[in-house]
Amino acid sequence: MAEIVLECRNLWKIYGKVVAVRDVSLGIKEGEIKVLFGPSGSGKSTLARCLAMLTKPTKGDVFLRGECLTRPGVDLNKARARIGFVFQHIWLFNHLTALGNVMLGLRRVLKMSKEEAEKRARRALREVRMEEWADHYPAQLSGGQQQRVGIARALAMDPEIIILDEPTSSLDPELTGEVIDILRELAKKGTTMLIISHEMLFNREVADEMIFFDEGRIVERGPPDHFFTMPKTDRARRFMERLIKQTARD
Amino acid sequence: MSPLEKLTFILMGVPTTLAISILSFFLGLAIGLPLAFIRAYGSKPFQILVDAYEKVFRSVPEIVIMLFFYFGFGSHLREPFKNAFFTATFVLGLRSGANQSQIFRGAIRGIGEEQMVAARSLGLSRLQAIVYVMIPQTFIAATPGLGSEYALLVKDSSYAFIIGVLEMMKRADVVRKVTLDTVFPYFAAAFLYILLTFPLSTYLDMWGTRKKKQLGL
Repeated sequence: MAEIVLECRNLWKIYGKVVAVRDVSLGIKEGEIKVLFGPSGSGKSTLARCLAMLTKPTKGDVFLRGECLTRPGVDLNKARARIGFVFQHIWLFNHLTALGNVMLGLRRVLKMSKEEAEKRARRALREVRMEEWADHYPAQLSGGQQQRVGIARALAMDPEIIILDEPTSSLDPELTGEVIDILRELAKKGTTMLIISHEMLFNREVADEMIFFDEGRIVERGPPDHFFTMPKTDRARRFMERLIKQTARD
Repeated sequence: MSPLEKLTFILMGVPTTLAISILSFFLGLAIGLPLAFIRAYGSKPFQILVDAYEKVFRSVPEIVIMLFFYFGFGSHLREPFKNAFFTATFVLGLRSGANQSQIFRGAIRGIGEEQMVAARSLGLSRLQAIVYVMIPQTFIAATPGLGSEYALLVKDSSYAFIIGVLEMMKRADVVRKVTLDTVFPYFAAAFLYILLTFPLSTYLDMWGTRKKKQLGL
């Protein structure tokens, strides 16, 4: 059986009086693709950020290959370098070119030489088909191109898992395709991923398991076909109906 | 004294005026940049200290601080405050530190928390994220403000004349006393101050605005 790469157990995140994530346990195995979906404001992003230790969970534990990250004294910078993260709003470094964006972590975190970092960064940009745009600044790129650089930035670090937080939802509809194509290729290569996505055709194609998330907890989980044919809970069924109607309209 | 002789005598103060302005600018930078980041990311007590520092130096006229350091500290501690050039530069630098802290803080706020989170997601430490991601962008965003700050320092370097530094303003005043010409010396000084401030601060403003637009900052 494949090893679990990233896992959370009984994870809670509470902001003041708002419970964003309540008692969630979830693990992603080597080579597995899990898709998280659900209404906006349901706490998906918060869960993703807790798993990447970009936000400290209020309660519960996060494990990276069995190593507990929520214990005091853990070098979280090292752990974060092993977990790739792609943001909904992309968040490239504005003052750096596409190449500079991808090289920063290689140089400063993995301590590569300039030549080595550049070679690896160019390879990552090639993988997302952005090599010719290496010398452009984020403001000179389209949203889809920016997000592909965002994926290259995470990919270049050779992470053990990549977490993608709605990577296409801030893009114009005609630009989502180019990003989805890249993600499809990553999936084919067996990249371990946790993806928050409402691109249902894509989800159905790549997901090993889909997880319906609402009000800070896992409501229902199963293989994609389960959700497309016979979701058990009312909430999941209503949400699926709405999404499918919307997809048909688009 | 011919007008040319008067002008030459005043012009000889330019190096001193520029030295005070530029040195105090960089002292202000060395103070203001760290303070801005402490204010943005430091713990509460440090934030309060920075706030107090800014309030004091932005509320008390620099002339009061300069006289206090020169005569107050100068007569009790003597060196280095007995030296008028040092005291003037030091005091203007302290005041500029308070101004620059505010300029940089505004820039940091404009850049926003996202850049920090993105940097941390790659495994950069907070300090690395500040050095490699926040500071370069902060400088670009702050350039127009820093241009105005430089102009302010050139103007305020004239306060050094009160404690006897022989800079441009003092020299203009000497010409007035010696020749009893009450118009030309001040007019010449005014013109020279415009020349020393306007072109550079305008250039920095234009460069910064263009760069910000180019990078979408």
